[in-house]
Amino acid sequence: MSNEHFTEPEVNENKNASPLDDFDMTENVAAPETDESILDFDDDPLSATSVSKKSLVIFFLIDTSGSMKGKKMGELNTVMEELIPEIRRVGEADTEVKVAVLTFSTEVRWMYSTPIPIEDFEWARLRASGVTSMGAAFKELNHRMSRNSFLSSPSLSFAPVIFLMTDGYPSDDYKEGLRELQTNSWYKFGLKAALGIGQEANDNILAEFTGSADTVVHAYTGGQLAQMIKIIAVTSSQIGSKSMTLSDDTSHELAEEDVFAAKQKLLGQQIQELISKQPGDDDVPFDTGW
Amino acid sequence: MEFGGKAKVLSVIGSGGQGTVYLVRFNGQKWALKWYDISKMNKPAAFRKNLQNNISDGPPSNKFLWPKYLTKEAEDGTFGYIMELKPDGFDSFVDILNTYKLEIDPLSGRAVKRPVKFNTLSAMVTCVINIVNAFRQLHRAGKSYQDLNDGGFFINVNTGAVLVCDCDNIAPDGSNFGIGGKPGYMAPEIVRGLAQPNVQTDKYSLAVVLFKLLFRGDPMEGEKVVRDVCLTESSELKHYGQNAVFVYDPDDASNRPVRGIHDNIIKFWRIYPDYIKDAFIRSFTTGISDPSKRIIENEWQKLFIRLRSEIIQCGCGRTNFSSMFIKPNDKTFKCPKCGMEFATIGFSNRDYRTPLYLGCKFYTCEISQESDDFSAVAGELVENKLKPGVLGIKNCSDRYWKAKMPDGVFYDIAPGKGFPVWQGLEIDFGEIKAQI
Repeated sequence: MSNEHFTEPEVNENKNASPLDDFDMTENVAAPETDESILDFDDDPLSATSVSKKSLVIFFLIDTSGSMKGKKMGELNTVMEELIPEIRRVGEADTEVKVAVLTFSTEVRWMYSTPIPIEDFEWARLRASGVTSMGAAFKELNHRMSRNSFLSSPSLSFAPVIFLMTDGYPSDDYKEGLRELQTNSWYKFGLKAALGIGQEANDNILAEFTGSADTVVHAYTGGQLAQMIKIIAVTSSQIGSKSMTLSDDTSHELAEEDVFAAKQKLLGQQIQELISKQPGDDDVPFDTGW
Repeated sequence: MEFGGKAKVLSVIGSGGQGTVYLVRFNGQKWALKWYDISKMNKPAAFRKNLQNNISDGPPSNKFLWPKYLTKEAEDGTFGYIMELKPDGFDSFVDILNTYKLEIDPLSGRAVKRPVKFNTLSAMVTCVINIVNAFRQLHRAGKSYQDLNDGGFFINVNTGAVLVCDCDNIAPDGSNFGIGGKPGYMAPEIVRGLAQPNVQTDKYSLAVVLFKLLFRGDPMEGEKVVRDVCLTESSELKHYGQNAVFVYDPDDASNRPVRGIHDNIIKFWRIYPDYIKDAFIRSFTTGISDPSKRIIENEWQKLFIRLRSEIIQCGCGRTNFSSMFIKPNDKTFKCPKCGMEFATIGFSNRDYRTPLYLGCKFYTCEISQESDDFSAVAGELVENKLKPGVLGIKNCSDRYWKAKMPDGVFYDIAPGKGFPVWQGLEIDFGEIKAQI
């Protein structure tokens, strides 16, 4: 517990401009209140509104191309219907969780025109047809991940959770779309995870999207698909609002670079831990399952 | 189970950062079983040993849902413990902060919102006293809670009774088995990576819990934080660690609450009396950098016992703290809504006067120097059942008091008896005296 070796973290003056400067601030923060003197307000000490919450939007980017038709889409629809009530309480009192679903096939389409609070969200069953316009989906996401659009909450936000699910190779120029998306600050600080479904999905492309291989998982069967979607959605929406474990090292003060992308790293670790515990089809011992 | 017997899992109750809680049947009774995900633990063996010690030490008081029995370790090294279930009539602190809870309609499967709020102001302040008292008892037992946050309490909104749950990270002060805490509740020195949870960091988290309960907002989230738009890891480190600024820091106006977002805090800051606000100012200004300056539980307890005694229930239906009543003179409060006036009584052990109204109560700790009992009612202002309209104080304690009557003589007041309130009333409770 000695702090003898403690030194002030050196802030690089050139980097002094906060990385958040590029969040597109459009609204001015309202002026703090000034005191009025008389009892001209609701002075009931028991009447309160809910505590101010930080807003967290979970974006689901879902491949609805023709190859998803049948079992995959059936499984996905069912899992998502079941998942929504399960993650309803993850925000507790601190976070308002909202959900936005972007589907991409020949066209890209939002399930609802605006992110919906999880408590009111109802899954509209998806149908599969067409090709895989992933690049267009990235562009559309970039366009909507803005304070002027889907992230317009007047209060403070957590960086969004962005969860991509696909079963095939993009049929358009996904790289161009991704390049655009990568300039978006919400994307940069967001928690990104991806799920490849079946043999065709390319984990390397998915890792390009998430920025790290350990937040990419793969499902080959319907059972795995359900497990993986739940693992990723629940884990990523809980990071930030749950009590966390601590490193033993208290000998130096944390600097900005120590915490940079800490949540994305934590998400990768937790996803990998959970996956390693799932019984894979190959792990079934020869003498069971008869 | 460790000492024999089997617990049968019935259903899942919930899951948290460290594991999952199940409803189980054991020895013919229903219990809650917490089962750990040891892969998320730094030192599972030490954690288990600590749980074992806590179980044999027992809870500091009946305000804790304390671990009861450990399970045997499973083959993979995982384990759990069982504890009593939350009794009926208690809501989670989270639901109180949300002002509603979700109940699932069994037919449609849809979530329905049901309001959750304190029934009376007195129940709310009693709840605060109970929370503070529970942590006083815990800290006196030489232990720290380590992960104090809004998920750690069940509260009865009718009575203010409190049950502290999630007691499994409680450890002797100075020890830590891996838990850091919940963002927003962690002391700045933990956020900065300079300290592990201990009794002093508990005091910071306790102040956050109390602030959230009374002011219904985050003490560190104001204009400065909202300007960041997105709360990234580095902005959390800044606003809750290196450069945490209280929203009502008298010397730093950079982080004031923002109208439209922090309306609760703005409203309640106008309602609470200065001595309460000063305690929070101290906790969240000098108490940020100097843990020894944080308010100790006993001090909080005294402040909130005072706050409870200053609640006025006016005949017009308005109930508020005396700070929200007009003070036409030193000894009177007046309702700004209906104009009704309230006399006050001064106790020899306090430098403030206590308002009197029909139904107001004194508690044992307020009339007896050595008592710490803030829940036993010692006296109550009532209307004489035989003489309608005549108000007096009833002795609900088990001691004799003396009260001065208009003839100038002190009479013995036996337990269960009472005496009228009049201009020159003096009461002798023993060591403590009171005077209108």
